[in-house]
Amino acid sequence: MKMQTLSTQPAAPAIHIAPSIMQKLTILSAAAKYDVACTSSGITRQGDGSGIGNTLSCGICHSFSADGRCVSLLKILFTNECAFNCAYCRNNCNSDIERATFTPDEICTLTIEFYRRNYIEGLFLSSGILISPNYTMDLIVQTLYRLRTVYRFQGYIHVKAIPGADPLLIEKAGYLADRMSVNLELPTSDALRRLAPCKSRHTILKPMRQIQNGITQNRHELAIYRKQPQFVPAGQSTQMIIGATPENDFQIMSVAESLYQKFSLKRVFYSAFVNVNHDANLPSLPGGPPLLREHRLYQADWLLRYYHFTVDELLSDDRPNFNVYLDPKCDWALRHLEYFPVEINTADYRTLLRIPGVGATSAQRIVKARRSSRLDFPDLKKIGVVLKRALYFITCSGRTMYPIKIDEDFICRNLLSDRTQIPRQLREDGYRQLSLFDDMQFGGGTDVCIPM
Amino acid sequence: MYVFQCEDSIDGIFSGVYDAWASRLGHKNIQLSSGPNANYTLFCEYIPVTADFEKSRKVSRTLIQRIGAAFYEDICSCAMADGSLKKLPMDKANAIYQTIVLALACKKGADVLQQLSEPCIFCVFLLRRQTRNEAHHLLEFLRFSELENGILFAQIHPKNDVLPILAPHFANRLPLENFIIYDATHQTAAVHSASKEYLIADARDLPLKRQMQQFSTNEAHFRSLWRAFFDTICVEERKNPKLQIQNIPKRFWADTVELADRI
Repeated sequence: MKMQTLSTQPAAPAIHIAPSIMQKLTILSAAAKYDVACTSSGITRQGDGSGIGNTLSCGICHSFSADGRCVSLLKILFTNECAFNCAYCRNNCNSDIERATFTPDEICTLTIEFYRRNYIEGLFLSSGILISPNYTMDLIVQTLYRLRTVYRFQGYIHVKAIPGADPLLIEKAGYLADRMSVNLELPTSDALRRLAPCKSRHTILKPMRQIQNGITQNRHELAIYRKQPQFVPAGQSTQMIIGATPENDFQIMSVAESLYQKFSLKRVFYSAFVNVNHDANLPSLPGGPPLLREHRLYQADWLLRYYHFTVDELLSDDRPNFNVYLDPKCDWALRHLEYFPVEINTADYRTLLRIPGVGATSAQRIVKARRSSRLDFPDLKKIGVVLKRALYFITCSGRTMYPIKIDEDFICRNLLSDRTQIPRQLREDGYRQLSLFDDMQFGGGTDVCIPM
Repeated sequence: MYVFQCEDSIDGIFSGVYDAWASRLGHKNIQLSSGPNANYTLFCEYIPVTADFEKSRKVSRTLIQRIGAAFYEDICSCAMADGSLKKLPMDKANAIYQTIVLALACKKGADVLQQLSEPCIFCVFLLRRQTRNEAHHLLEFLRFSELENGILFAQIHPKNDVLPILAPHFANRLPLENFIIYDATHQTAAVHSASKEYLIADARDLPLKRQMQQFSTNEAHFRSLWRAFFDTICVEERKNPKLQIQNIPKRFWADTVELADRI
């Protein structure tokens, strides 16, 4: 019986059946899912009536997957047949997984058919290294060219620049895509050398610099001739893996800050490390990926980009990590009570931005609303200020909302007595509830370690 | 006190604004009300207003010329909102009337929208935000299906009358497609045929039930591809259903492809 079944079945590895489009899509979207940059923002472009698609600068998320992350673009790899051996990546050449490669036409059909049903906002195309960086980048450029010219697609395209590819190919891709990104992967070049031996700081930063220069040059050309084709109009972004290597938050944020300043990036994304390969050289994370740390980094990132903070204000060599209990802005405010309380009716816009509980939108509304009348606490509530955080730091016409003292311990205790202000992860762990305040010596220099 | 009772639509409310203004009864003695009154108040005279396109057009023209197009759009978004959802400080039509009165009295009329301490303006602010937020949600979560004859069809169940915001967006996005967006709550439909302007029509008598269920042969294929993509894109280690519901509220799930069977 056994012999019979064996003889009738063909030897499995000998026949290669081309995977169906369904199989390819599942394999290559699963391979791309750890990439975090799925935004469709940064450029408004109306359709010209001859094809399909437009873009909105606010970006549109079309769905949200079970992990709560937005699904905005068709996020796929061109291929996961990768020649590189990065330890953190599921698609590295040593791991035993199913492999597949799209054809340019398959990607175009999927994009167009999903787009016209309003499932997606555009295409996010990344790739493993098939044969060589140049070969792969060329395939990507061909795909984008078909999509833009044959299918006349005018929606959003985010494409990865493959490190090590020829500058000419990257330039071609830049004229077809809206946003480009090169992943920094790890915050320090030392970690990169250890975990991604085929990549180097040099091959990553080179295309990044090229795209930056391309954008600047294109802006000058556009000023002279309006109809000049646009080069990466929605800017470039990058991402870093958080928690795979022992860098602290101060190092990570300093890298991000220098990327914003020196490479004029639009966004830096942080991706909490998931040990997909169970590699012995990488940390195992029994508590799951460091999501709270990732959250704090994003909060700080916003403070850098929209709130005029610098990394040196938020962190230092003595306090290299963010406070897990308080968001970075609250934490900063508690350590700098000399700036508070702020008078809402007279403070300038930048000072308003530094108040915990006041965001960019409410700060703008305050500035506009106080032209016509003096503002009081009920007005601030209408404007959208989060009073339960802000009330310790503000006065309206010289009065605080309740009798409070401007004192670090007092404010901290009151802020944390509202359990909704404590991050969910900590709340649900019931993490040392009673001794919580004994451990928190603000200003004492000791660090609250991250319980993950 | 005189109460002008108008129909709950842009034309109805603007006609009410026109009649109230023209009545010369004094702004302080006038209130507007949209929709049926549950309780009649003593010492009030109730004046019914019939929606009149000509009057509405005159009000629109005045608002655009004297205050500005942005202000006019804000007021329209407010008029499109469902005024019964939230507990508001005043009736929707009344808030619009009072706001217009305030704006026309100022030199820079559009700036009155910043004075949120004024109850009528706060009310307009809330309603406008309500409509715009829902409209943005539907730009995200609306799903087209391809019918047998190649027409794209989408059904939505919005609380506010957001079709006038959705239609131009999709007409610009899909200029070469024939599509219909059917608003099942308000029984209206936006119809767009390839390379032409769209129009918004009353859809009470359309035979939607039967015809709109006959999908093209490809439809099932792309739906299952999309579902497969949606399921694989989730990172298992980060699973967070609460965040998902916060971002895509459950009332939108029924009209999507990927979440319809998960409710």
